[in-house]
Amino acid sequence: MKIKLFNLLRTVAMAMALLMTIAFAHAGEPAAKQKIAIVISTLNNPWFVVLAETAKARATELGYDATIFDSQNDTAKEASHFENLIAGGYKAVIFNPTDADGSVANVLKAKAAGIPVFCIDREINSTNAATCQMLSDSYAGCVKLGQYFVKTVGKEGNYVELLGLVGDNNTWNRSKGFHSVVDRFPGLKMVAQQSADFDRAKGLEVMESMLQAHPDIKAVFCGNDAMAMGAYQALVSAGKDKQVKVFGFDGANDVVKLISEGKIAATGMQFPKVMARTAAEYADEYLKGRRDFPQKIPVKVDLVTPENVSNYGDYGKK
Amino acid sequence: MAITEKNKTDIIRRFIAVAVAAFLCWLFPLFHVVPLKMAVAEKTAGKFDATAFVEKFWIEKLLPAANTAVNAKGLLAAIQASPSNAKTNYSRSVGLSDSYFYFLHGEGKIVAVSDDTVSIVVTGNSTNVEITLQTGLIFGDAIRDGTGLLHASAYPNSQDFNDISAALNHEVETKVLPKLREQAKVGARISFAGCAEVNDESSDLHPLNLIPIETKSE
Repeated sequence: MKIKLFNLLRTVAMAMALLMTIAFAHAGEPAAKQKIAIVISTLNNPWFVVLAETAKARATELGYDATIFDSQNDTAKEASHFENLIAGGYKAVIFNPTDADGSVANVLKAKAAGIPVFCIDREINSTNAATCQMLSDSYAGCVKLGQYFVKTVGKEGNYVELLGLVGDNNTWNRSKGFHSVVDRFPGLKMVAQQSADFDRAKGLEVMESMLQAHPDIKAVFCGNDAMAMGAYQALVSAGKDKQVKVFGFDGANDVVKLISEGKIAATGMQFPKVMARTAAEYADEYLKGRRDFPQKIPVKVDLVTPENVSNYGDYGKK
Repeated sequence: MAITEKNKTDIIRRFIAVAVAAFLCWLFPLFHVVPLKMAVAEKTAGKFDATAFVEKFWIEKLLPAANTAVNAKGLLAAIQASPSNAKTNYSRSVGLSDSYFYFLHGEGKIVAVSDDTVSIVVTGNSTNVEITLQTGLIFGDAIRDGTGLLHASAYPNSQDFNDISAALNHEVETKVLPKLREQAKVGARISFAGCAEVNDESSDLHPLNLIPIETKSE
């Protein structure tokens, strides 16, 4: 009996000693950092890499443990990222959605789990899911591009259009903004319009087939700069880069450089760094108690042309 | 050829199979034939109608708000004194942007008329054109964003919000400009209300380039 009691006391003492050792070992360590997830539609485009890396850098500066998730333009992958980040204890999400309608459910899941979501660049079709959406004013940007298009291409001639992802509102806001101007000039005829999914390789491919069917075009309007680069590459290969003016949208570094060399006509400068930094700061403010965020914040887009290109670079204004 | 018992059973089985298949098709039809008009109506049901929205908004909200817009004479004096103070006190900007809008009303004398502008002097002793009213093709978001009456946050899909802009510009082109072109005689006095967008203060303030929403001969 005495031996049993002694063994029991010894076990309890050892357990307490172990617990105290663990407690002392952790006493000097700071509390674990809160985690912020940055879910990006695709990292297969330098523009989105800048968006993701800037958000991560700002969140890290603000003291968070930030992780980037690449959805690869796949709503299923995006849904899986949300499942994982909800289970993984992330406190906020900076989100660049893959699909305006398809991504709403993911945001609602995070909201139900008490995780705020800050959309950047791409929109979701809901005003009660995300905490805030910071969106480039693509429509207004493409109105300006459309006006410059008419000024440089002229009021007559054939042109083609490369659309982005058909499920993304930016695709249609850009196209509609552009056509709100260009369609007012009946002499300008769009002879082909096709999606190249905001992708450079697809832009090249689609442009090659468009050139075969329509060798007489004067210009191509592209819904983003990746497609504009692909289209330009196709034009160079076909020896038509001097004949066909290329218009892009994004303000990617390679396109800005080609504008300064007179090889691409114009682009719309979005400000990915401004959007990403502001979203990280908003997430920080939310986690510190702020709740009064506007649902949608339009971000101005600047027209970049050979006349003002020296003012732009590194994904923003110099 | 006599029908054997086996054949009879076979025929009955096939008949039952066809009857079951027909019943299932009736219960769960593979397709519906719908008149084209009805299909189009179903597809567009619930979609935002920007034109209808703007027609109502124009009469019920926009025109009444023009009376409370900033007075042109006061605004021009404020800009003359300090563009940055004028911006702080009278302008409106949207989201993250260095551009801003003025929503103003006033009256003045027409001093020049071109294909796409009507030039106005508002201040009695001014020799410079102070305001130009656009009379050509109308583009952009000055009317939608310049008044403070419409907000992007109210629209789940930004395409609807952008359609409002296009519909407002169409309203200006079809309802306001034809009347203004008739009124546009050099020397005539005119009252006006509208919105101006300022992207570059060095060029957009002198004169203020206004998209008119209402004009009246005095």
